[in-house]
Amino acid sequence: MPAKNMVSIVEDDESLRLALAGLIRSVGHEARDFPSAEEYLALQDGRCACVISDLHMPGIDGIEMILKLREMGYSVPAILITARAGRAVEARAIAAGALCVLRKPFEAEALLDCLRRALADGASSH
Amino acid sequence: MSAPVAANGPDILDLVHESVISWDGAGRILSWNAASKALYGWDGGEALGDIARILLRTHHDRPLAEIEAELAETGAWEGELRRRTADGADRVVDVRWTIERDGDGGIARTIETGRDVTDRTAAEEALRLSEYRYRNLFEAMAVGFVEIDFTAVGAMLIPLRGQGVTDLGAWLRANRPFVRDTMAKAVILDVNEKAIQLFGARGKADMVGGSSACYWPEPSEPVYIDALVATMEKQPHLVCETRMKGLGGAEFDTLFTVSWSEESRRRGVVLLGFVDVSQRKQAEAALRRLQAEFAHAARVSMLGELVASIAHELNQPLAAIATSGEASLRWLAADEPQLGEVRALASQIVGDVRRAAAIIARIRSMAEARAPEQSAVSLNAIVEEVLAFLRHELQVQCVIVEHDLAGRLPLVLADRTQLQQVIVNLVINAIQAMAEAGSEAAVLRVTTFPTKDGRVGLAVEDMGPGLPADPQRLFDGFFSTKPGGMGMGLPICRTILEAHGGEIQAANRSEGPGARFAITLPATPSR
Repeated sequence: MPAKNMVSIVEDDESLRLALAGLIRSVGHEARDFPSAEEYLALQDGRCACVISDLHMPGIDGIEMILKLREMGYSVPAILITARAGRAVEARAIAAGALCVLRKPFEAEALLDCLRRALADGASSH
Repeated sequence: MSAPVAANGPDILDLVHESVISWDGAGRILSWNAASKALYGWDGGEALGDIARILLRTHHDRPLAEIEAELAETGAWEGELRRRTADGADRVVDVRWTIERDGDGGIARTIETGRDVTDRTAAEEALRLSEYRYRNLFEAMAVGFVEIDFTAVGAMLIPLRGQGVTDLGAWLRANRPFVRDTMAKAVILDVNEKAIQLFGARGKADMVGGSSACYWPEPSEPVYIDALVATMEKQPHLVCETRMKGLGGAEFDTLFTVSWSEESRRRGVVLLGFVDVSQRKQAEAALRRLQAEFAHAARVSMLGELVASIAHELNQPLAAIATSGEASLRWLAADEPQLGEVRALASQIVGDVRRAAAIIARIRSMAEARAPEQSAVSLNAIVEEVLAFLRHELQVQCVIVEHDLAGRLPLVLADRTQLQQVIVNLVINAIQAMAEAGSEAAVLRVTTFPTKDGRVGLAVEDMGPGLPADPQRLFDGFFSTKPGGMGMGLPICRTILEAHGGEIQAANRSEGPGARFAITLPATPSR
């Protein structure tokens, strides 16, 4: 059993947000969910081991959120989910520091793969 | 003045208004009163002793021999003669001849009373002519005419007033068997060629003498009732559209007229006219179908423009369902399956499936080709639906929606899908106008309001570049301000609104740049 980690979910669509939190808990981690990037950024208590965020949201979007997070000095690994295919956007996301970019609808296994990599990265960077 | 009648007669006969003449067996005039002088122009002195027939140029319609034979047999004859006066005018005279016989039974003397009926015959002739013209019209018109004997129906209706029926129409509408009974008693007196053709009869004999009941399908009874009321209230005529039934059972649309002349009213005859309007009705229906098809084509092309938005809308619940399903499988596969977690996830899945189904239902109703169907709908509810439908598009284009929907707005009678289409169209136009203008603050304002004249209004305002110089052109087909625009959206909006008794207006916003499209629709009558 791997160690329990705190994973943050940022997604404006409520049902996908709850579903993602359910998936994270089902593999033994803790999940916190936020309806917007603003709310997530406001709650930085150092407990977050990974953030999974929608790319496209009203207000601050996923890419801006990563940039702000880095500006604030947090190196939390980030996974972005997007509804739209677009290599340009994916490249921008990676450049901003996203670990993975997943397209909706995505395979749960692919997300969990990314999560495992993110947590390993996070553990090694500490 | 030798004749016995004249012995103490001249004074008396001169007081009589009718002409009184007598002649002997040879036709020589024996007496001649003052009225005779007034009628024929000859005075007694000139007339006495002359042969009456020659002096007066008498013309009989029947041979004189026949008249004299009748006279000899029965002792009297009545009829009309044509005569000429002293100044050459022709006169029609209604006469009565009586005879005095001689000892052998021959005619000793004929006494004639006569009355000038020239003017009366002229009136009768005019009447005959007008009757002839009427008959000609009756037969030759492209209108089906049916003459009805109304006397029996009148006899049924008149007593109702005595029985306290004040609103005849309402009473008849509530007493349909009575109404059918009056139809059965309304006997057809005559029909013309066109009516025979219209009602699918083989000839007059199929219709004349029969009742009118079989030509009235039940749904048309209210029109028949209106006709009865109009007849009883002595309205000069009634015109309305209705459906009638032919002898073969086929129904047809007709313009129905009821008319009475004073004279026909006296005789208890009602004239019904029927103009076949089936073809016009068919053309109208075809036009409505065409408009509905256009509206449908426009909706489908609009859905095409929105396909990315729609795909995203659907992807959202699908992603949630897949994720919840995966999580459930993991909870179930754990050493100690967590049924509480699985239950929560399963109910989320059900909720997401409903949401996806609702999105599909919305798209399907927009994509469906069906005849427009009117019902009382809330304009506010339709605005909410449209904004939900376009939620993602608005979000992607970073448009902020302000809506101000009036409370207690009356309902409107409309086809829900078509009204949605109009509003979707206006909102998409606004989004595109603002995107194209690269407006800094893209704010879309949607308002609903009651208008001063009791209608229901809606306005969509954008902060785009505003309208071209002649806004009315926007409603012309194939005119577009958008690159790649078909220019059919607004014309179809206008067609849809006009079919609903509504209208649409385009103007620039009064405060700041941008366009304002306003529609108004009639409110449903409040009950």
